[in-house]
Order: sequence, then C-alpha cells, then structure tokens
Amino acid sequence: MIKLYDVSKTYGKAKEKAVDSLTLEIGSGEIFGFLGPNGAGKSTTIKMITGILIPDSGSIEIDGVNIADDPIAAKSRVGFVPDTHDIYETLKGIEYLRFIGTMYGVPEAVLRENIDKYADLFEMKGALGDMVGSYSHGMKQKLSIIAALIHDPQVWVLDEPLTGLDPQSAYRLKKLMRERADSGNTVFFSSHVIDVVEKVCDRIGIINHGKLVAVDTLDNIRQSDKVSLESLFLTVTGEGE
Amino acid sequence: MKKYLSLVKLLFVQQYKSRASSERDGRKRRVGTAVLYVILALCFLPIALSVAVAIYYMGKVSGGDPYICMFLTLMCQGLVFMFGVHAIMSNVFIVKDADKLLYLPVRAPVIFLAKLTVAYLNELITTFVTVLVILLPFGIGAHIGAAYYLLLPVALLLIPMLPMLLGALVAMPLSALIARFAKNSVIKTVLRIVIYALLMALYMYIVYRLGFLTGSENGNILDNPEAYAEDILRELTEQLSKVMVYFHPNYLLVRAMTGDTFVRRMLYLLASIGENAALLGLVFAVSLPFYRAMLGMTADSGGRRRMSGYNVHSKGTVAELMRTDLRRTVRDSQMGFQSFAGLVIMPVIVVLLYFMMGLADEGGTSFIELMRVSPLYQAIAPTVILIYMTMLNNGTNVLGLYPISRENRSIFMLKCLPVPFGKILLAKVLLATAVMAINSLITCVLIVALFGLKWYFGLAMLCQMLTLGFGSMCITTLADLKCPRLGWDNFNQNLKNAKNSWLAMLVALVCAVALAAVSAPCIVLYALFGGWYWLLIMWLVSIGLGIGFAAVAYRIMKGKAAYHFGKIEV
Repeated sequence: MIKLYDVSKTYGKAKEKAVDSLTLEIGSGEIFGFLGPNGAGKSTTIKMITGILIPDSGSIEIDGVNIADDPIAAKSRVGFVPDTHDIYETLKGIEYLRFIGTMYGVPEAVLRENIDKYADLFEMKGALGDMVGSYSHGMKQKLSIIAALIHDPQVWVLDEPLTGLDPQSAYRLKKLMRERADSGNTVFFSSHVIDVVEKVCDRIGIINHGKLVAVDTLDNIRQSDKVSLESLFLTVTGEGE
Repeated sequence: MKKYLSLVKLLFVQQYKSRASSERDGRKRRVGTAVLYVILALCFLPIALSVAVAIYYMGKVSGGDPYICMFLTLMCQGLVFMFGVHAIMSNVFIVKDADKLLYLPVRAPVIFLAKLTVAYLNELITTFVTVLVILLPFGIGAHIGAAYYLLLPVALLLIPMLPMLLGALVAMPLSALIARFAKNSVIKTVLRIVIYALLMALYMYIVYRLGFLTGSENGNILDNPEAYAEDILRELTEQLSKVMVYFHPNYLLVRAMTGDTFVRRMLYLLASIGENAALLGLVFAVSLPFYRAMLGMTADSGGRRRMSGYNVHSKGTVAELMRTDLRRTVRDSQMGFQSFAGLVIMPVIVVLLYFMMGLADEGGTSFIELMRVSPLYQAIAPTVILIYMTMLNNGTNVLGLYPISRENRSIFMLKCLPVPFGKILLAKVLLATAVMAINSLITCVLIVALFGLKWYFGLAMLCQMLTLGFGSMCITTLADLKCPRLGWDNFNQNLKNAKNSWLAMLVALVCAVALAAVSAPCIVLYALFGGWYWLLIMWLVSIGLGIGFAAVAYRIMKGKAAYHFGKIEV
C-alpha cells in the first residue's frame, strides 16, 4: 500500500512546484497507472516514493511505514525500476544482482532461486556473466526489472518500464505485474503508452503541472465520460478540444 | 586525398577537444590547461637547461663529429620511441572508434594512414622539444655552419619517422596482448604501465651504456675533464660506427647536416628521405593487415560470450558495498588508472629518494649513511618522513577523495537502497583506507629497508598513516557529499580544479603541524637526556591523537550523512 498525503516538492530555486499538494492512496492488490505529459511530475513523485528525493512537505507511507520516520524499513518494502539506465556499467549482471540482493538482505538460497526464476523468465541467464556496459537498452531494462523483484517487494514501482523491451518481454512484464497484484502486492507504474495503461491498470491517475487532475478506475472514467482514455488524457492535460 | 585530410584533421583535433558543457566552461578549462602546461614547463626547465648545457659542451669538445651528432639524434629518437609506442598503441591499433569509423565510406587503408599521420603529428611535438634541447645546443657548441641550422627543420620532420615505424612494429604484438585483456581494465592498465616502464628502462640502459663508457685512459673526470670527455667521445664514435648500419636513414640525415659541400648535403638528404619513405611503405604493408584484424576483433566483440554458470555468495552489507565499489572503480579505465597510480606513487618516490640520497659518492659514503651516524636520526627521520607521506598519500588516493562524485548518475541507486547513509559512507572510507593500507605497508617496508629505520618505527608510522588517512578521508568524503560533481561524461575532466585533493592536503598539513607539536618536545627531551621512553611517549601520544582524530571525523561524517544525501537532487 502506498499513501501520499499533501506531498509537495520544488527543485532548487525553481518558482513552480514539480509536485503540488499531491494526495493519493493506492491499495494492496492494485495496479495503479500514473499518466502525465513530460515534466508533469511523474518521475518526481516516483523518486519521492522510493526515497531518492525528500518531499518539501507532506508525508509518504509505504505499507504503513512513514518514509521520513523510518526510511530503511520503507525502502526495504519497495522494488524500483528506474526510467534511466544509469546502472553500474562496470559490474557483471550477476554481480549487480548479488549486490542488490545483499543490500536488501535476501538470504542466499532465496537470492539464487529468484535470480534463476526471473532470469529465465526474461531470457537473461546467458548474459548475466557479461558486463552491464555491454548490454543493449532492453537488456538493461530487464536487469533492472529482475533487480527490483529479487527481494520480493510489497510495493513495485516502475518508471516507464516498457521502454526498450521487445514484445515478448513486454507481454511477460505485464503478466508479471498482474500476478504480483493478484498476490496482494501493490504495483505503481508510470507510462506514456496509454494503450498499455488502459489494458493493465485497475486504477489510473493523471498528473499535470504537478497536480493530480484525475484519479479513478478505468470503468468509472469511461462511464462518466464515454470517451477513450486518450481523449480524456488530452482533455485533462489541456490538449483536447 | 580529401577524405584522408578530413580524417587527419578530425582525429587530431578530437584528441585535444574538451567536453565542456558551455563555451565559458570550455574557455576556463583551456586557460586551466594552459596554466598547467606552463607550470609543467617551468618544472622541467632546469632539467632541460642542464641537459642543453651538457650537450653544448659535448658539441664544443667533439667539434661537430657526425657520429656524436648521430648519437644525439638517436637520443632524440629514443625519447620519441619511448613515448611513441604507447601513443601508437592507443591511437592506432587499440581501436576504440570502430563504431564511428566503420560505417564511413572510407577504405581501411585510408583510415589507417590517417591514424598513423596523427601519431606522427603527435610525435613531432616531442621531437621539437628534443631538437631544441639536444640538437640546437650541439650545433652552437660545435660552431657548425648555417646549413646545419637550415636543415634542422628537415631533421625535425625526419627524426620521428624511424622511431614511429619501429614503434608501430613493437606496438603490434603489445596491442594484441592488451586486446586479449580488453574485458579486464585492471590487467590492461597494469600491462600498459609495465610496457611503459620496460621501454623507459631499455632507453635508460642504452643511454647509460653509450653515454657512460668507462674506457678513459686519463683517469678521473675531475683531474682532467677535457681529456676524459675526449676519451669518452672517441669510444662512443667507435661504438656507433659499428651499429650505424642499423640506423642508416639517420646516418644519412646526420651526414646531410654536417656535410662539407652543398651537393653532398643534398644527396645525403635525398637518400635519407628515400630510405625513410621505403621504410614507411614496408611498415604500412606489414601493419595494415594487423590493423584490419584488430578492427575486426573490435567490431565482433559486440556479441557476448555465453555464461556457463554463476555463483551467488552474499556477504555483509558493508563488505558488499566495498567490494562492488572496488570492482566498479578498478574496471573503469580512468578511475582504475588513477587508483593504481595512487597506489604506486609513494613506493616509487621512496625508491627515487633512496637513489638520490642513498648512493655512495666518490668517497664511498652516502648521504643517508652520514645522517644515520647522528644519534637523533631514528628520532627525527620517521616523523619527517611520516609528515611527507601523509600529505602525499591523502592527496593522491582517488578512492577517498571523490567517493560520491564517482557515483555519477548512478547516485540514485545509493539513495533508494535500504541501507543507512552512514553505512554507505563508512564502506567508502574503509575501502579507501584498505587500499591506502597496501600502499602504506609497501612504503613503510621500503623505508625501513632502504633508509635503515628500526622496524618498530616503521610499524608506528604505518599505524599513524592509517589513522590519519581514515580521518582525512572521512572529511574529504563529507566534503564531496556536500558538493558532489555529478552528471559527468569524463571522470578526469570533471575533477579538474576539484577542491578535494587540496582539502586533503590541507587536512594533512594540519595533522603534520599537530604531529610536529607533539613530537618536537619529546625529541628535544630525548636529545637532552637520552632514554628510549621519550620516543615511546612521542609515538603513543601521536597515535592516540590520530585515533581520536579518526573517531571524531567519522562521527561528524556519520552524523551529517543523511542530511547531505537528502540534499542531492537527481
């Protein structure tokens, strides 16, 4: 479960808030899609949820743990797939996964089992002995996904997870997201691909200029507006007619 | 031809371009680099001047003998060769820009020739310096005619040819060897350093053998310097006449420069140019297939090797953080090289100091032996050496100076790990201290062995270096955390003018003052009254202060870690 209460964040001396009084609650067993145009505040929100950035005001709870009060406990419940591929390029894939596993305190047997499981799923087993720097964009993405899952997190946060993935891997990822949500975990992901959000998510939120402008289940949105998610997205972000 | 010239221009200019983010930044960097070169030039000026004066006298004594001139030309070429092999390996054979050049509609021989030309242009710079310091003073000393000076620019153009071509032949097997370790930048770096050191040793050996012939019949150099020099030069001439055939283009060039008639000069010059051109063709024909093979290897390396199996061994958090950090650093070519250089610099300096101070003079006594006679040697020497080593050690350990800046864009990973920030910093400082411990241990062993200090003083110095190093690195780590330089593309350029190495030296200076303040009264009391316990008290107090300093610095760093980590916005 993720709870954000009145969260705001301004970068440096910028006049405009990157995130402005955001209040949001995402329950267990739910896939939440976070939409918004470029620079709307999606990544900033995700960085605050994962503990990379500290909010200027407001509070964030991960599975009932306030991230400001106990950042270590909160972070250990989160698995994060970043939108950048600035992961440790001079490590081998397996070394990177072992490092992440150790940081999250995963027992060796579980770590081995999870690496096998997810490396098989994303067909990465043969490449884990190679340097991350030699990986393609998609392979780095897959490695980030595996790394985010090896400690079996209660909250899975994915920032633009489908970028660079081949169709098979994208399909497997969507299936995995559903499986994790069905087993009681929370999945929070941001994407530009509205079709995917439409197909995968239980609920969606749309952010624009740092403010949450719409949040509901897909069915409710459709019933009330009788329009496609794309049209709704364009309307609430000021692009539609 | 147009493609060839464009490539030469591109490759030549590219190596001097800075990756500045703005025009202003670029200008600042250019000014900084210029200042650095001026400082370096000023540092080397006394050496260059003394060499020039020696060569001037050599010219005076020899009267412009062509064999002596050839010896000097060989000296110039030796230097060009020594620096050139490394440059040829990096610029020509170890292909780093294959992906950028392969898709161009340019044939491989043209690219290869362009790369060779760039290597040649680079070597012209070294040659220019050697001509200025060696051949010019020789001409002045020997009172050779104007034709010698008129031909110097031609010599400047021809001198790099032979070493460059020999360098290309030597560089081929070495490049193949280095390419085998393309995946392991540590071994690659070590190999490069070993090759460089071997070439330097070879050069020194040859110069030593040729320049310090001992067959003088006129006794000591001090008794009759001119006769001594004449003997040496005569023997040198004899030796060179035997090996001249191996450097025939040089022989022809020198003959052109020192010849007596215009026609002879021109004939020798043309012959020399012809021989150099023939050699160039030969080496081009031999090394082009090798270049193609290296290019192929680089282009093929995109396909990854299959992995047969892997091991998962979890360790403690701090140990894993240290291990991962170490791997990342040593596998990065720039950071790996800096760390390695930081590791060897102190032992190398100690050995050099020994050669400067430890070799016996004509009377059979060395400076170190003279000092060791003093009863205060064992009291003062360790403290002085310790102060010097602490300053140098702390200022050169890249692992402890920029632990946060080197994370670059991956810093977000450390921020989202469920590990206390204090622990992350502790791992970084411990890693830097562990690497420094190896350096310090080697240094202390060398000092004890070469400078004749008692082993227990060596041990005390080691303890003190570790405590001071740990404390200093806590401070530099915190400083780097406060103002990290992130988002870089080139680690070395990013850290130009970075303040941390100065800060480390400043901290070391403060430690040095504290050490001196503690040591001085004890040494004075020891000198006045004798008694080993004064020295024991001195070391116990100073080590105690070192431990206290390390503990306080660690507490400060740990206390502020979360606050400063939180302030980094990525």
